[in-house]
Amino acid sequence: MPMSRNPPGESPRGPVVLEGVGKEYGKFTALKALTLSVADGTSLGFLGPNGAGKSTTIKIMTNLIRPSRGRATLFGIDVQREPTRALQRVGAVIETPEFYGYLSPIETLAYAGRLRGMPRKEIEARSQTVLKEVKLSTWSDHRIQEFSKGMKQRLAIAQALLHEPDLLILDEPTSGLDPRGMAEVRDVIRSLKREGRTIFMSSHLLGEVEEVCDEIALLNHGTLIVSGSMRELSRRPGVSVLKATFLQPLSEAAWETLRGLPHVEEVNPASDGSVDVRIAGGEEVQASVLESIIRAGLRVTSFHATGSPLEHLYLEHIDESDHL
Amino acid sequence: MSASGWAQTFVVAEYEVRRYLRGRRLLGMLLLLALIIGLILGLPPALGLDYASSPNLFVASFTNFSSLLIVLSGVLFASDALVSEHEKRTGYFLFPNPVRREVLVLGKLAASVLTSFAVVTLYYGAASGAALVVTGGLTWEIWLSYLYALAYTVCVVGIAFLLSASLKTTVSATVLTFFLFTLIFGIVQGVLSLADVDPWFIPSAAAGIIGNVVAPSVGFGQGPGNGFGLSFVPEVPTSLLVFAGYFVVGSLLAVLLFRRRELTA
Repeated sequence: MPMSRNPPGESPRGPVVLEGVGKEYGKFTALKALTLSVADGTSLGFLGPNGAGKSTTIKIMTNLIRPSRGRATLFGIDVQREPTRALQRVGAVIETPEFYGYLSPIETLAYAGRLRGMPRKEIEARSQTVLKEVKLSTWSDHRIQEFSKGMKQRLAIAQALLHEPDLLILDEPTSGLDPRGMAEVRDVIRSLKREGRTIFMSSHLLGEVEEVCDEIALLNHGTLIVSGSMRELSRRPGVSVLKATFLQPLSEAAWETLRGLPHVEEVNPASDGSVDVRIAGGEEVQASVLESIIRAGLRVTSFHATGSPLEHLYLEHIDESDHL
Repeated sequence: MSASGWAQTFVVAEYEVRRYLRGRRLLGMLLLLALIIGLILGLPPALGLDYASSPNLFVASFTNFSSLLIVLSGVLFASDALVSEHEKRTGYFLFPNPVRREVLVLGKLAASVLTSFAVVTLYYGAASGAALVVTGGLTWEIWLSYLYALAYTVCVVGIAFLLSASLKTTVSATVLTFFLFTLIFGIVQGVLSLADVDPWFIPSAAAGIIGNVVAPSVGFGQGPGNGFGLSFVPEVPTSLLVFAGYFVVGSLLAVLLFRRRELTA
């Protein structure tokens, strides 16, 4: 279990608490009134289509922009009132940051470390460790102006990890990385999670969130649509698509039987000879549909849900028109 | 684990100076400096003219270019210091660190002032050295001219920082800083003179003290009517107060604007 890392005398609140946080850009509302908290040691996947308000939330949390209303606190410290104290135990990667091209990664990390008041020896040791972790050791003395977007993203992750933060705020952390780089970054995040650090991560990649996060929050049009633990949400009644394979090709009567079963919304033949059964409900309903199919005398050879529970949840709440 | 505001200011200044040293700007500035010094020292013998015999008049040929050099320093070492963090997105690296925006402004301001001071010092060092060799002496007025040049540098940097905090692109901040000092202030000065108003509060008019102290062309405080007022030079204390005023107001406004500015790019 993750340890509580609140310093003595500080209010024992969660690492991230957002209370009615909203943001307007002129007449455009980017974020309505987001209330969300993340418990110590939890890794939260922050999901939503483009323009949902994810980056706005993260920028408010890291003091890059001011909220129009509400309050963001990190470890019980108001980010807008005391940004330096609030950000002390935070490492952040926001979008793909640009670095000073005239510096090398080792100098960039020294800059960040010295701004944080880390002793020089610790900066040197930690720099070697984090550069190795993000596979940039051989480039540690090269000027960043020579770097690709993926290398800059790796450096961004390295600088976020430099001071061993208790809270990591990651905005699309694998953006710009190749598949191998993505897998390596996911490994890094998983190991941080094992160490009990709190992770607040936005991503478009649902598989990535499923692998790394144990809680999710889904945002759309600046409003929190759903939040909770991954397990809870995957058990929620919703719409699922099941792939069923039968011993023999289905007759016309069998198709009619399938369509008439309780909870079945739609039945379609798939290109591989199997049948896609769209049902309204979660795991309980899946079990009861399978029982009904067997009771109806249809001989099933395989029966499984297609796509991930998170994908279904996402598609259930985010319309096609929401993708900007 | 936390660095003090002063320690952070020093770190920011150190990295800014490193930026100037590694970039081509300082090199360009030094080449320009060498060109100006070379022309001032090389042209008279090439044209068969004698150098001025008094140290003050000799250095006056250098002070003619002091203001331009100072403005160029402000353009190169100050005008994009703040705006570039937003435009070039380096703010995404810098701002989430536990460092106050005013600390960032102070550190960058210190770096700009120190780098510009170094350029001015080098220029006056060359001028004084040449004066010593050619005329065999130096005067107190040369020192005063140098100090006034430093004061004007501070004024230019303050205004450049204000523009850097206000404008959206490095190009607009750089171009406006340059033309403000080389053109716009001159036009305002001319118009004010035509209206019989002493342009004592215009920095470029106040900068007249830099050359006037070694080679007075007009009396201090002389008003309109002297060369359409363009050669009006305020009294030294007035000019120094004007420099200080622009620096303080420019820097404070730069801090306020930079603090309020959001990183949305």
